[in-house]
Parts: sequence; C-alpha cells; structure tokens
Amino acid sequence: MAKNKDGDVDLIIIVNGQPVPIDANANEPLRTVAQQALDKTGNSGQPLQNWEMRDSGGNILDLDRKVGDFHFPDGTKLFLNLKAGVGG
Amino acid sequence: MATQYTDPSVSRRKFEREIIEYKSLGEEYRTRGWLLVEAEFPKVLVVLAAAKLKPTPVVMGVAFDYTNYDAAPPSVKIVNPFTGEPYKFKELPNPLNRALPAQEIAIPGFPMQQKMMVQGEQPYMQAFGPEDVPILCLAGVREYHEHPAHSGDIWELHRKSGAGRLVRLLEVISRYGVEPIFSFGVQLVPQVGLKYGPPPQ
Repeated sequence: MAKNKDGDVDLIIIVNGQPVPIDANANEPLRTVAQQALDKTGNSGQPLQNWEMRDSGGNILDLDRKVGDFHFPDGTKLFLNLKAGVGG
Repeated sequence: MATQYTDPSVSRRKFEREIIEYKSLGEEYRTRGWLLVEAEFPKVLVVLAAAKLKPTPVVMGVAFDYTNYDAAPPSVKIVNPFTGEPYKFKELPNPLNRALPAQEIAIPGFPMQQKMMVQGEQPYMQAFGPEDVPILCLAGVREYHEHPAHSGDIWELHRKSGAGRLVRLLEVISRYGVEPIFSFGVQLVPQVGLKYGPPPQ
C-alpha cells in the first residue's frame, strides 16, 4: 500500500537488469515512473513505447494506470525491459 | 571463437557489471527458474527451468559470449544445459514462437463477407535447415547483426538501449521459450491385442 502520509511509494525499477529506486506518487501514471527510471539509468536509445513493464509474476503492467491503482507495497520490484520487437 | 579486438579491460568491466547486477537480484531470478551456473569472462551460462511446474523441468541452457562487449553485441546460443553444446535446430526444446497479430482472411469459395481470423506464429530461432545451429533472430544478438539479411539494422542503433544486456536477453528467451509452458504433455498410446485363456488339451 502506498504511504498514507505523502501518497508516495518507494519502488525499485529494474531496467534491463539494473535496479534504480524511484519515489513514485500514487496519483501519477506508471508511465511517468518508467520514464524516470529510463532517465536515471541513461537509457536514451529507445522511446518509452519500445519498453514494457512487468511485475515479479511476469504480468505486463498498463503504463497508463495510476501507481496507486496497483497498491504496490514499498520496496516492490518492477521489471522494465526493452520489447523483443519483430524477429526473423 | 571470437577474437578480442577491443580493450579487454573495458569489455571485462562491462561484463562484470552485468554479473554484479544479475547477482544483486539473483534470488528474484532463481524463483523464476533462472540458474546462473557459469560466469567467467567472456562466457555466461544460464539454465532456464519451468519453475511453475512440479516437478520442475530444466528446459534449456543459454550460453552468452561477451567478447568485445559492448563494441560488439554478445553471442547468444541455446545449448544443452548439461553439456553446453549448442542445439541444432531439430534439437531445440522449442523455437521461441511469437504470436503474430491476428489477420482477417476471406474464405475461398464463400462470399466476401465470410471471413475468418487467423493468428500465425513466428519463431525467434531461425536456421536454414534442421541440422544447423539456429540463431536468435533478435536485435542485440551478435548472430543477428552479423547476418547479411540484417545489414541495415546495425548494432550501433541498439547499443545505447541496452539491447545486449544479459537480463534483457534472458527476459526475451524466458518469455517466449519457457513461460508459455503451463503443464506436462503426456501422450498415451493404447495397444490392443488378443488375450487368451489356458490352452485346450
């Protein structure tokens, strides 16, 4: 659950295997958190739409939903990875 | 065997960063069935198991070669997890199929309004024949960028996005090669014969 006092939740976003802590506001969309994680890790090579975020169960998360909708506990690890794209 | 032509200390340092970051979340990855069994520059071997199933089957090994990283992308091969030998195409546990977007097609012989939805699959593992060692057809993989069919999609276009990073590549292989496994497939072949009583005197 997000912290009541400030509506923030401490997330750990793992960008291509590199963990980065993000203090996320419950009212902002997950997209903002993902973009912050990319900026902090210097991943400027591909736009956000080429990335996908998943929880530790492997479920893809909708980046347009608010952080608070997911009821993440503090310290939740989320995985942000480059999409596979078209092979062949 | 690739020749190290970039400064080995640079490649080694970047390789070590991959391993340190992997190990910092090693417990998380282990619960997903990823077992790091070898990490000695420039090689990494990770064994992938289908952790959702009980008993848990080992599905495949993934061998990485980070020679020249990241001036060049890593080599990635699906291998026998016990011998480390690269699988031929015919030996692959599965070809890492990806579902293509469903397409509407007209049914021959029926009015144009009669259409059906068809969803195809495309394998990420590609080879010319069943006896060949397949390549992982994915940007960020050495074999992909060295293939003449991909000369227009050079490594430098993907390098800064981390396309060759260990965890990113494992995520793709696990997602398409291991996570779709949801149960054991059992085929029972009934055999019919004649049963005889005691022979007559």
